[in-house]
Amino acid sequence: MSSTKPRDDRRAAWLFLLPVLVGFAVFYGYPAARGVWYSVTDYNMLNTATYVGAENYTKLLRDEQFWNAMLVTAWYVVLNIGSQTLLALGIASLMHRLTRSVVLRATLLLPWLVPNVTIGLLWMWLLDTNLGFVNQLLHTVGVGPVGFFTDETWAMPTVAGINTWAYTGYTALLLYAGMLQIPQYLYEGASIDGAGEWRMFRRITLPLLRPVLALVLVVSLIGSFQIFDTIAVTTKGGPVSATQVIYYFIYLQAFKYFHLGYAAAAAVFLALILGVLTAIQMRLLRASRSDLA
Amino acid sequence: MIRTSRVGAALLTLAVAAGLAACGSTEEEPGAAVTLDYWLWDDNQKASYQQCADEFTKANPNITIKISQAAWNEYWQNLTTQIAAGDAPDVWTNQGSYYPQFVSSGQILDIQPYVTADKVDLSQYQGGLADLFTKGDQRFGLPKDWDTMALVYNTEHLKAQGIDAASLANLTWNPTDGGTFEQLIAKATVDEKGRNGLDPAFDKTKVKVFGYLPEWADGSQGQNGWGNLAASNGFTYLDKNPWGTQYKYDDPKLAQTIDWFKSLSAKGYAPALDKASTLSRDSLLNAGKGAITFAGSWMINSYLGEGAKLKFAFAPLPAGPQGRKTAINGLSDAIWAGTKHKDEAWKWVKFLGSADCQNIVGGNGVVFPAIKTASEKALAAHTAKGRDVKVFVDEAAAPGGTFFVPITEHGNEVSQLVQDAIQSAILGQSDSATALKKANDQVNALFK
Amino acid sequence: MTRRTFNPGRALAWVAMAVVIVVTVFPFWWMVRTALTPAADIYTDNASLLPEHPTLINFLRVLGLTTEAEARAAGGSGAHLDFAGYLWNSIVYCGLIAAVQTLFCAMAGYAFARLRFPGRDLVFAIVIAALMVPPIFTLLPNFILVKDLGWMNTMAGMVAPTILMTPFAVFFLRQFFLSLPRDVEEAAILDGNGPWGIFWRIALPMSRGPLITIGLTTTVWAWKDYLWPLLVGRDEENRLVTVALGVFLQQSPNTQPDWTGLMAASTLSVLPVLLLLVFVGKRLVQSLNFTGSK
Repeated sequence: MSSTKPRDDRRAAWLFLLPVLVGFAVFYGYPAARGVWYSVTDYNMLNTATYVGAENYTKLLRDEQFWNAMLVTAWYVVLNIGSQTLLALGIASLMHRLTRSVVLRATLLLPWLVPNVTIGLLWMWLLDTNLGFVNQLLHTVGVGPVGFFTDETWAMPTVAGINTWAYTGYTALLLYAGMLQIPQYLYEGASIDGAGEWRMFRRITLPLLRPVLALVLVVSLIGSFQIFDTIAVTTKGGPVSATQVIYYFIYLQAFKYFHLGYAAAAAVFLALILGVLTAIQMRLLRASRSDLA
Repeated sequence: MIRTSRVGAALLTLAVAAGLAACGSTEEEPGAAVTLDYWLWDDNQKASYQQCADEFTKANPNITIKISQAAWNEYWQNLTTQIAAGDAPDVWTNQGSYYPQFVSSGQILDIQPYVTADKVDLSQYQGGLADLFTKGDQRFGLPKDWDTMALVYNTEHLKAQGIDAASLANLTWNPTDGGTFEQLIAKATVDEKGRNGLDPAFDKTKVKVFGYLPEWADGSQGQNGWGNLAASNGFTYLDKNPWGTQYKYDDPKLAQTIDWFKSLSAKGYAPALDKASTLSRDSLLNAGKGAITFAGSWMINSYLGEGAKLKFAFAPLPAGPQGRKTAINGLSDAIWAGTKHKDEAWKWVKFLGSADCQNIVGGNGVVFPAIKTASEKALAAHTAKGRDVKVFVDEAAAPGGTFFVPITEHGNEVSQLVQDAIQSAILGQSDSATALKKANDQVNALFK
Repeated sequence: MTRRTFNPGRALAWVAMAVVIVVTVFPFWWMVRTALTPAADIYTDNASLLPEHPTLINFLRVLGLTTEAEARAAGGSGAHLDFAGYLWNSIVYCGLIAAVQTLFCAMAGYAFARLRFPGRDLVFAIVIAALMVPPIFTLLPNFILVKDLGWMNTMAGMVAPTILMTPFAVFFLRQFFLSLPRDVEEAAILDGNGPWGIFWRIALPMSRGPLITIGLTTTVWAWKDYLWPLLVGRDEENRLVTVALGVFLQQSPNTQPDWTGLMAASTLSVLPVLLLLVFVGKRLVQSLNFTGSK
């Protein structure tokens, strides 16, 4: 086109992107397209899918369980983003400004290394109303017992707490990696100018961390909307449907009830919501710009 | 060398994913040796079936059985995925809640022609079990084992409470005052000061040992509790079984039963749902936190196994207004309709359903095989180990004393709806009758 | 590094750190503690920090160092794990995915961050949208693809869906390449470097920290993969360490998992990645100290 424009790397760019685009098309794009197709069919995994128009969607909008699932998920997202992301930011800053001990960092990452199948079971054991250590402890101080998984009020905060335990270290690691990219001389300069830690955090760390912070927020948001493992192991959506999050709803519909078309419609709906939320986040955080470069 | 070829194969992924290679599948030449894939979920039974497979291969040298085992949840998810992908195991173990879906979608081979041709004796199985796996004139499996329910109790605890074990043999129950069963539960409940549930000074807020441990995650069947008592109160689940289409969860006899269970929690004889443990009931019994609960015969080894610290024993279920009723349930082996080796698969299923295999299984004393004589072998194996489990066999044999848990379409959905309704009634979000009426309407709407 | 005077703020920060560490480590300790408890004690001995009768039997039986009868007596099913074999499979699996995926995603991330071409932001948005595709929807089509390719029960089938890319890794590396100083790059162009030269000689070496981080992250996630390798690599010869944990889970409804065996096997499964983390972590700090001092 215009030879006056500074650079156009399109040939190189497509080569750089080739493997990723192939992987994307085969293992994400195609399944997603199939999912969208299923959402307008009566597919039940064992039949030949027939087009049914918007039926699944209209049914979805009238489904109490679906709306309950959305509500329950929103509650989880608030709890989880609130605890996990803020805590991770705090821990990453502490690691960054306090110490560079590898042992310490590995310690904080320990929970993340525990296999997913074990996490839920481990906590079920620890928090059990009758046999769990935590309730024994509460009992000795005269409190309890608390039905962490069976009490409607406690079930969801408990699940959020477990996932916070399991993934905060990992989130902190990502943020910490971002902080290490910030040139040390900026802190040294600020320190000479007499700036305190809090001021440095606000004036240097936060703004320069923005691309990574945006990444962590976007990924945490999407990830917490997809909470599933811990619930599948511990509460199974109960008591009644107090922890039946959207993803568990989709799973039940797809793999237990064989309503894959219906489940696909719910998944498409969820993806649309996530898409909008992500776009807003990226815009608000100006995620594609860095103050460093 | 295996290592390098694996790495090579992985790298090949890239090439193929990029569209450089075409896909191809391997066809087997006819007459060659056949390997059948056989799936089961219970790791404790794998050894028994491996023995069967070895025997089978001895008799049929051209057929090898490859057994795959996966834990309960993963088993069904993988099975469903593989069936949907057209790549299911040749033979797999079925259970009531998933099996109807596979039948109605044509995934299970109708074996009636084989059964007729080979003159399989269907009367050798425990009464009614063989019919569970039929639909019209079609047959979708041969029974492999069965289970019934009984009470399990902590013998030393009951003795310490001055309860005579012999009195447990003839318990009665009714939904109004709970009969002698409730008296027993009350006596077995102990608060932190050592007072039992009948003591006027009993403190229900500080219970040390609960007389009864309920199971509230019990689906639509209540096999581990309410189902048996509701049945003894005259409740029937649905119009016909298997393959009924009209459920009757709005029956007041069921609501009464649920209300009675709820009253146990209110009196402090059983933990309330929101203060209940999420670990299995046998863990709590083993920890001495509970005295009595319902146990299925598949739990025998958990209670009477060598590892158990406390001593447990089994007693018959209490007799309700309509007599003593226990749920009976069975598993079957099914052949995938898409298998390439139908005849070989039938040979294997026939062997699994024969005394030759079921005697092996029975002899290991893990479950009760479907064939009556093999069940007796299992009973003998248990007795030889000093375990008194006769009650399960007696209950199974009692005329009119058993009922089959429902086998219908939408099993998993019905399960979730009814379980949620019962939990909401127990939690007090709604009264039992209303919750069950609403759930019943939702359940029956599934069949429209 | 030179200030060593007492500072109340720092002391407070250390206290906060200590609390975090205790909360982090305690449940982990409980896993190890349960693994050290005899199965028979599991329900009664649960109120102290140390087991009353510590034992290594659970580790031994998980590793297959006991007879089947001994394993059964200790509460197991008699199943033993060919731990060394699974470990090797897991290492191959994670190594392949981490190495190949990191390279490809770095290339893409760099292109999205630094190269200029029409449609860049749109393509990026589409790739990121893959984060929103629920894994249960990719399961079936991917399984059918792998089956049609004849890759059931092969390492190729197991690594296929993740070896080329994950949306997360692309996103992560793009965000880091965004913050590379532009002046270095401009200088490289003046020196006559093309896009590949800049990427390979400038961008990659300057991003060692993020690359190691994502490599580690990918390794750990791959190490913990469960459902997919269970579906595709169920056979003994392809089984991964986590897949093998399945034998300790609840086998039938209403029963309980083999608690002590599960915790022992889980503890063993954590060790290799933990060692990797400490080992690579040390090098990471050194390399960062190096770039940080420029």
